[in-house]
Amino acid sequence: MIDLNERISEKKNFFNRLIIVYIFFGFLFTYFIYRIFSLQISSYSDYEIASLKNKTREILIQPMRGIIYDRNGEIIVNNVPSYNLITNPSGILNIDELILEISKIISLSNNDIKNIKEKFFLRKKLNRELVLKRNLTVEEIAKFKVRNYKFPNVFIAERYTRQNLYPFLFSHSIGYVGSPSEEYIEEVMLEQNQTIKETIFKYSNGFLIGKTGLENIYDKELRGIYGTKIYEVDASGRLLEEKSITKPVNGLDIHTSLDIRSQKIAHEKLKNRRGAVVAVEISNGAILTYVSSPSFSVNKISNGLSQNEFNDLLNDEDKPFFDRAGQGRYSPASTIKPAIGLFGLDKNLINWAYTINDPGYFILPEDGRVYRGWKENGHGNINVSDAIIESSNTFFFSLAYRSEIDELVDHLSNFGFGKNICVDCFLPDKGLLPTPEWKMNTHNFGWYKGDTVNLGVGQGYLSATPIQLAYYSAFLANKGELSDFSFVQNKENNGKTVFFTNQINEKDWKKIHESMIGVIESPKGTAGRLKILKDYIIAAKSGTVELVSTDTKDDYKIIREIEGQRDHAIIIAFGPMPNPKYAVSVVIENGESGGSVAGPVAIEVLNALVNNE
Amino acid sequence: MNKIKSFLETKIFFDQYLFISIALISIIGVFFLFSASQGNFETTIKQSLFVLLGLILMFAVSQPDPDFFKNNALIFMLFSIFLVLLTFLIGKEVNGAKRWLDLGFLTLQSSEIMKITLPLFLAAYLYNKPLPISLFHTFITLALILFSANIVRIQPDLGTSLVILVAGLYILFLAGLSWKFITVSIVIFIFSLPFIWNNFLEPFQKQRILTLLDPSADPFGSGWNIAQSKIAIGSGGLGGKGYQMGSQGHLDFLPEAETDFIFSVIAEEFGFIGVCILLSIFLFILLRCFYLAINARDRFCRLTIGGLSLLFLSTIFINLAMVVGIIPVVGMPLPFISKGGSSLLSFYIAFGIIISMSTHKKLMQK
Repeated sequence: MIDLNERISEKKNFFNRLIIVYIFFGFLFTYFIYRIFSLQISSYSDYEIASLKNKTREILIQPMRGIIYDRNGEIIVNNVPSYNLITNPSGILNIDELILEISKIISLSNNDIKNIKEKFFLRKKLNRELVLKRNLTVEEIAKFKVRNYKFPNVFIAERYTRQNLYPFLFSHSIGYVGSPSEEYIEEVMLEQNQTIKETIFKYSNGFLIGKTGLENIYDKELRGIYGTKIYEVDASGRLLEEKSITKPVNGLDIHTSLDIRSQKIAHEKLKNRRGAVVAVEISNGAILTYVSSPSFSVNKISNGLSQNEFNDLLNDEDKPFFDRAGQGRYSPASTIKPAIGLFGLDKNLINWAYTINDPGYFILPEDGRVYRGWKENGHGNINVSDAIIESSNTFFFSLAYRSEIDELVDHLSNFGFGKNICVDCFLPDKGLLPTPEWKMNTHNFGWYKGDTVNLGVGQGYLSATPIQLAYYSAFLANKGELSDFSFVQNKENNGKTVFFTNQINEKDWKKIHESMIGVIESPKGTAGRLKILKDYIIAAKSGTVELVSTDTKDDYKIIREIEGQRDHAIIIAFGPMPNPKYAVSVVIENGESGGSVAGPVAIEVLNALVNNE
Repeated sequence: MNKIKSFLETKIFFDQYLFISIALISIIGVFFLFSASQGNFETTIKQSLFVLLGLILMFAVSQPDPDFFKNNALIFMLFSIFLVLLTFLIGKEVNGAKRWLDLGFLTLQSSEIMKITLPLFLAAYLYNKPLPISLFHTFITLALILFSANIVRIQPDLGTSLVILVAGLYILFLAGLSWKFITVSIVIFIFSLPFIWNNFLEPFQKQRILTLLDPSADPFGSGWNIAQSKIAIGSGGLGGKGYQMGSQGHLDFLPEAETDFIFSVIAEEFGFIGVCILLSIFLFILLRCFYLAINARDRFCRLTIGGLSLLFLSTIFINLAMVVGIIPVVGMPLPFISKGGSSLLSFYIAFGIIISMSTHKKLMQK
């Protein structure tokens, strides 16, 4: 047996060892308390936020886009409700039974049913709504409403689509909406101090952005500000209770200067031919009519188009997507003549009494090359006024021949050529105002005198879009002073161009107007047949854009067999005179005659504007 | 009157300090479990019955003389090994682990019994061995410890097997294992760590250890539990969110809120103050055990009290260290608080034995 000494030493040994273990754990517990302290006291706020973040879920609420009005306060683009049948799956025990009961009153396609069954369990688990059927008909709504009491967990909810009430009229001016890219949504959210997250959509198609036209240019204004709903959630993401709501702010409504009536007339009169019409209010540069033809339905693009339909539009040879009014480049042709005449007067190359003899052609002295007019034996002795009325080429060939190209380019840029003159147009083209540097850079050729001569009748390299031609027209009408064009007139920094000259005075402008009135009113005028289409005075200048250069009328008859080789018809006009309010430009591709083909369209549009006052 | 008092002192064996503090912490445990189970009455009532049964069991176990445990230690040991082996044959399989014997009224986790019988048997085996413990006895003891721990490990139940391992080692250490042996073992252990890592750990166990080193690397996998537990504890702050107001526990962010992570629920709802009160009760129990151990009547009682109280201490520490992310998640309940029948009852039995060892005085006249 163990003796007493041994027992005492054993007891002491045990005591020491137990103490060692207790001290060891004492240290561990001290460390543990330190950890708890640092979690609960030192880093309390971090963890409190983390716990709050855990149990709350913020859901975005989509705002409604603003409504777009015409100048008379009539709605052009609106948010139109469609009705969807929706269920709250949390209250549904047997989805098959529900589908069966619903099918008795509202027909569900196999696709609908498959979709419902696929999504049911997850939606139920997360407590999210489930759409049973989209776009209910009035009949279906009525049928459901009377049996509503049978379905306590099913209800009808509104979802909107963006609808243009005139789907073909504003395709290129107002444009259409579509689904944005992920990056774009991110950008929008960043702007609004949000991040991409679950969203309650007002629109059937989810996120929307303006893809083209004013929908694009004014996207930020139209878009509105996203609201938020804050829910309490559990670990699986199930929504438990709504905690708070910040309502979305709907987008701003936009009041444009567009005029539905003239827009309709322009569209109708173009009769789906390739072309464009732009009309403006001269005093403030407000765009009233902006039509490119042929057109397409923006509603189909915005709200879903089959791939085939889309391909048909894309492959259409008439290119309906192409915005001819803002992006189509056309030679101004004879419509340039008033501007060239003004140049001659400004630089003292001519005066109102100055005449030349027009034999029907102009021979370039340098190389003997012949530049022909449209009238075989010419216009005889002719001054600038008659040269505009009768559209003498020879007069302007010889005037251009005597011009310095740099001065001429400077002069023409006052009229809007070669620059953007629109504040809120979508991707406007600048056209082309050719200079010797431009020619050297792009064609690697020097500037010939013949190029300047061609410029005198608006042919050659010079090209302009219909909206630039409308600007040019309005600039002439307003006697050398004009605001930049716009669809919406609330911009304070609207640019204004003023034509500075010591030579041209009020009398000269009046005479230019008179010459242009003569184009229609004078017996010798090139657009005399337009006279009877209106009951007030209009100033105009027509043009015919040669696509293929021919020497004789017979030659032209041969090339016109192919429609795409026919001349473009073009006209600029303003009125009513003597104090013009509206200016217009019309281009009809391969329309052949500016006066008789483009002219009537211009007159009808002006009629619509003038008679509507 | 005197007669009754003397009867109580000589015939009824009862330590009011341990009994009251354990009863208190059990009641607090039921109270916490009600919140952690999100107000589940079934769970709470079941747990209450276990607590009642446990307290009665503790009282009953403390009545026999320590010699009863000493003399029957081998039988208890063999019986518990038999139960573990039986589990392999007819055990109930849950999540790929066979740990439970279905007894009808209770699914018994057989390894929980071994947690007590092994230290008890080792104490009975070593109490009369001369100091320092000879190499022969050391190896016999180690072999038994490793065998017991290993049959539990392959169930698999890593947590309990670890506890069995340390419980056995405590007894060996307290009984007077030579320092030379300890030093050599530690050196060998350190050098064999890579070998253990490569050959003895399951991939998911390795993952737990790696996650511990960098929980943020895997926020929704193994690290998710620890991260959520930390958020629960941290967001409790000084005073807590209030009873049944903890969002982490009540919105299912805390995994195993009723068992392994019940401490996080308490910390979330009662804050740092609540944690300190809870820990003080545990500390009181441990200090009482320390006092009883050094004043025990003989070496067997000393070793048993020391070993069982260190087992209790280790279990608490493993659970606490786990919920704050100091050690990997191993599946360890918080004694007297976490939901669970077997582990709860095993601690009542352990304390019953401790009370028996400390209240029975040696009859000197014998």
